[in-house]
Amino acid sequence: MSGLLEKLLINYPYLVAALLFTIGTFTVLTHPNLFKKLLGINIMESAIFLLFVASGNIRGGVAPIRAVADGEAVYINPLPSALMLTGIVVSVSVTAFALALIVRLYKAYGTTDMRRIVARRKEVTGDDGFDQN
Amino acid sequence: MTALIRTNLPVLVVIAPLFVAFILPPLARRIRLVEALAFLATVFGFGAAGYLAAVVFAQKGSPFIYQLGGWPAPWGIELVAGNLGVFFLLAVTGVSVPVLLFGRGNLTAEVGGAGRVTRFYVLYLLLVGALAGMAVTNDLFNVYVLVEVVTLSCCGLVSARRHPRAAEAAFTYLVLATLGSALVLGGIGLLYLLTGHLNMGFAARELGRAWPDYPHAVLMAVSFTIIGFGVKAALFPLHVWLPDAHATAPSPASAILSGLAVKGYLICLLKFLYGVFGGVLLRELAVHRILTLLGVTGIIAGSILALAQEELKRRLAYSTVAQVGYLVLGFGSLNVTGLVGALFYLASHAVIKAALFLSAGAIQQATGKRKIRELAGVGRKMPVTMAAFTIGSCGLIGLPLFSGFIGKWYLLLGSWEAGMFLPVAAVLAGSVLCAAYLLPVIRAAYFAPAPEEDWQDPGRPQRLALLMLATVVLALGVRPGPFLELARKAAAELLAYY
Amino acid sequence: MLALVLALSSGVAGGLLVAVLPAARSRLRNLVVLFFTGCGVFGSWQVARLVWAGEQLRIAGRLGGLSFCLDPDPLGVVFALLAATLWLFTVVYSFGYMAGKAHQRTYYSFLLLTFSVTLGVAFSGNLVALYLFYELLTLATYPLVIQERSEEAMQAGTKYLLYNLSGAAVLLLAIVLTAAQGGRLDFVGGPILARGMKTGYNGLLFLFTVGFGVKAALMPLHRWLPAAMVAPTPVSALLHAVAVVYAGVFGLLRVVFSVFGPELLGELGFTALLPWVAAVTILVGIILATRQDELKRRLAYQTISHLSYILLGAFTLHPSGLAGAVLQMIGYAALKTAFFFCVGLIAEQTGVTRVSRMDGVGKVLPKTMAAFAVVTLGMIGLLPLGTFWGKYYLMKGSVAGGLWPLAVVLAGSGFINAVCFIPVVVKAFQGERTCTPVTERGGRVTLMLAPTLLLVVIGLGMGLFPGMVWPGVRAVVDWFF
Repeated sequence: MSGLLEKLLINYPYLVAALLFTIGTFTVLTHPNLFKKLLGINIMESAIFLLFVASGNIRGGVAPIRAVADGEAVYINPLPSALMLTGIVVSVSVTAFALALIVRLYKAYGTTDMRRIVARRKEVTGDDGFDQN
Repeated sequence: MTALIRTNLPVLVVIAPLFVAFILPPLARRIRLVEALAFLATVFGFGAAGYLAAVVFAQKGSPFIYQLGGWPAPWGIELVAGNLGVFFLLAVTGVSVPVLLFGRGNLTAEVGGAGRVTRFYVLYLLLVGALAGMAVTNDLFNVYVLVEVVTLSCCGLVSARRHPRAAEAAFTYLVLATLGSALVLGGIGLLYLLTGHLNMGFAARELGRAWPDYPHAVLMAVSFTIIGFGVKAALFPLHVWLPDAHATAPSPASAILSGLAVKGYLICLLKFLYGVFGGVLLRELAVHRILTLLGVTGIIAGSILALAQEELKRRLAYSTVAQVGYLVLGFGSLNVTGLVGALFYLASHAVIKAALFLSAGAIQQATGKRKIRELAGVGRKMPVTMAAFTIGSCGLIGLPLFSGFIGKWYLLLGSWEAGMFLPVAAVLAGSVLCAAYLLPVIRAAYFAPAPEEDWQDPGRPQRLALLMLATVVLALGVRPGPFLELARKAAAELLAYY
Repeated sequence: MLALVLALSSGVAGGLLVAVLPAARSRLRNLVVLFFTGCGVFGSWQVARLVWAGEQLRIAGRLGGLSFCLDPDPLGVVFALLAATLWLFTVVYSFGYMAGKAHQRTYYSFLLLTFSVTLGVAFSGNLVALYLFYELLTLATYPLVIQERSEEAMQAGTKYLLYNLSGAAVLLLAIVLTAAQGGRLDFVGGPILARGMKTGYNGLLFLFTVGFGVKAALMPLHRWLPAAMVAPTPVSALLHAVAVVYAGVFGLLRVVFSVFGPELLGELGFTALLPWVAAVTILVGIILATRQDELKRRLAYQTISHLSYILLGAFTLHPSGLAGAVLQMIGYAALKTAFFFCVGLIAEQTGVTRVSRMDGVGKVLPKTMAAFAVVTLGMIGLLPLGTFWGKYYLMKGSVAGGLWPLAVVLAGSGFINAVCFIPVVVKAFQGERTCTPVTERGGRVTLMLAPTLLLVVIGLGMGLFPGMVWPGVRAVVDWFF
């Protein structure tokens, strides 16, 4: 038992990533507020970024560019960090798009609460017609 | 020049639509030009896919490997136009042409002014380019990027209508799809941790060695990928976003979303399952049983839910949930026959669903009615549209002479070879249920008394698009020939490790 | 070869032509329908002549990875000839019956399409082709079932589709399994599963029985047939007493003789059960018939019972049983069609559709009721009607196959048939007249009456001169034994 705990504590970045991922997913799925859902998405994605970056990290390692100068030093794997740069870009665009949608929903329904949107759907859209543009 | 184009064709297929997508927005005022450019881009894609397929077919199936920037794997990024790649490429580009044609001069009614229509085309081309990328990519991280491009452009297409319901559906879709992407990325991260490679071939080889040491991590990676792609491909019970999204989108968008986008994720899943994890591992972990079970549940539940819908487009959307079940069921058969069935069914469903959604859209546009029982007499007033719908329905039900039959035949044989009876029963029950939810539409359209209103078939490009799709459904059913052969080779290739 | 193409394509061509003709041109339409039906009949006769002369007419193609072929054999030819000949009678009868009714164009175009599909079932040379036409038959006849477009008709139509499409799904499963086991699907060259006994064949036989049993109205899969009686009478007469239901029976004959073969079937445990399923269907069907008041439903239950006569003959696995089955198929089809024609005539002219109101109809419509009476004797299986010979060979086959209780079942069924219809005939001639008098005469009635009487005469002819159908029966028996 203590062996497992020790393993978990040594690999704490992964533990934190798992924790963050759970928190994020939970928020996304349970919170009725659209903004909080969006925050949940961001937390969730950060967790994955952490997983990647941690996977490249070596304790006591240095940045590869310094490693070239030092010659002997242990350097961390730069690839996961580079990949996560792309990941962050994707995450930012998702956030931007989601914000735009939230603005549109707020203009239509006057609220950002999913439960109220469902309640007002009928009065705002008139039955549930999709056809009026 | 031609030699240059030819050698770079695998990457051009992906880049050309993306490039055209980026030059469209400034041209928004000249909507005809926008339409023509977008159409040319998809036609070019189709031609290129046909050429690649011919090359791959003639080479006895050895894949067409392209190294981006000239860096060899595992350092560089590879594109592989193998049998599976060109098969899906053909399906994507082949369906994208008629769907785009359907939008010609017709989108303003559904989407709005010229600027919005242009944006629609931008998203459409991004989607097609990214799907083509999914077909040829051989790199794990590229898969993630393409998945995100597909997701975002799909969400954009769903929200293309000004209606608040569209924004709502798009938001739900975005949230769940991002959840799926996060899981996929997590799976990729774990695979990278385990193998140190992002190239699929290298990762697969390394995974064979790493697997006995880290069984739990591998299991986690497998489940992350299945659930991640499952959410995105609307695998029951992760389908909750699909009906709203597909029913609210403009009809060309519904067609491409249901027909192709969902399939793109499934092709990625297939590449992960067979190209990275490999058949031996899947069998050891009993993943194939899980897939089969998911497929069976999907078929039955999706069909029953479809049966409960009164709106035509929602019924078709739920039917997609059921059809995804067929494909996943085929993925779980772990033999060539079953995979051939799944692949062929995938392509055939892409064409059929596009035809069904487009004709449903045309009907909705002409009549303003959404409910099935309000469609009385449409068959006589809109003969071309309803003929396409009927042919598509027959294909989906799986009548002989239509493309769906051949897919179902191999799925049945494959499941039987795998020694599983439950999927066999599910496939058959699915066909009966499919008849139960589609035939009432046809019955209402042809056999119920028609009202006095003046409903008409859509314009010439729309009719042409519908006829093209219907012809393909019939042609694939009667003479699947080389296409089926390509599917067979792709399946054999996928199981080669095994 | 040309004859085969002619036979198969004339229905489709005619159906499409009728569909594009203006709805108002009814006279022209009738001519077109008659012409194309005639072409189909001519083609079928040519095919029959060639097949009996020992020629092989084969059209083969590939449907994806599956082979698909048309290859008429003596059994198929008998079914095709029967259907084609009766089609001609039904078409003429329809000209009278349908005159002035709604949706005629749909009716005739689907009637002709169904003609092609039925011939396709008869001529199909492997299981894939058989499945294709079997499935198409359901869809092509659906518009005919809902011809009335009433609420009841729509419900019946749904039931019809549900039963038949589910049956076809089970059939597809059976065919896939046969392909997996036997490797080939062609009928020519002996039974598909001839080599060796394998586990699971019992299950396969069960699946085939369910798949084809739906259309053959084998109990308990028969419920759609009485419901389908909302269709116009010519449709009930031709499709739901002959063509569609015979497709199921024909399929089961194929299963017995072309898929498994009598020898292999003899070793299967499930085979022993089949004659008894048929026997139960025979008895229960006819007993239920006696309880129906509506004339068409009574006939429908009787059809259920009589279809199993044919199956019973096949399940004896004896040459005499097969001869009886084929003879019964021919003799019964002609008479049952005539029976329905009579019912249609009565309903059209007097409005009577129920047994309880039949009193005195014979005084109003003497010719129709006379035909009715003769047909009733045929249903019992008495000389001088064609059905006698069928029943005779069926009994012979039962006894020779070691299943003598089945002969008793057949005799008992004949007796219940008498109980079921003789009192109706007697009351129709002797009872007090309650129905309204005849309102119309002339062209329309003649068009309906002539085919009816002609069919009765043919039935009598077959009884007196069984030699005229014997060569066909002989060819079938020699082909399989």
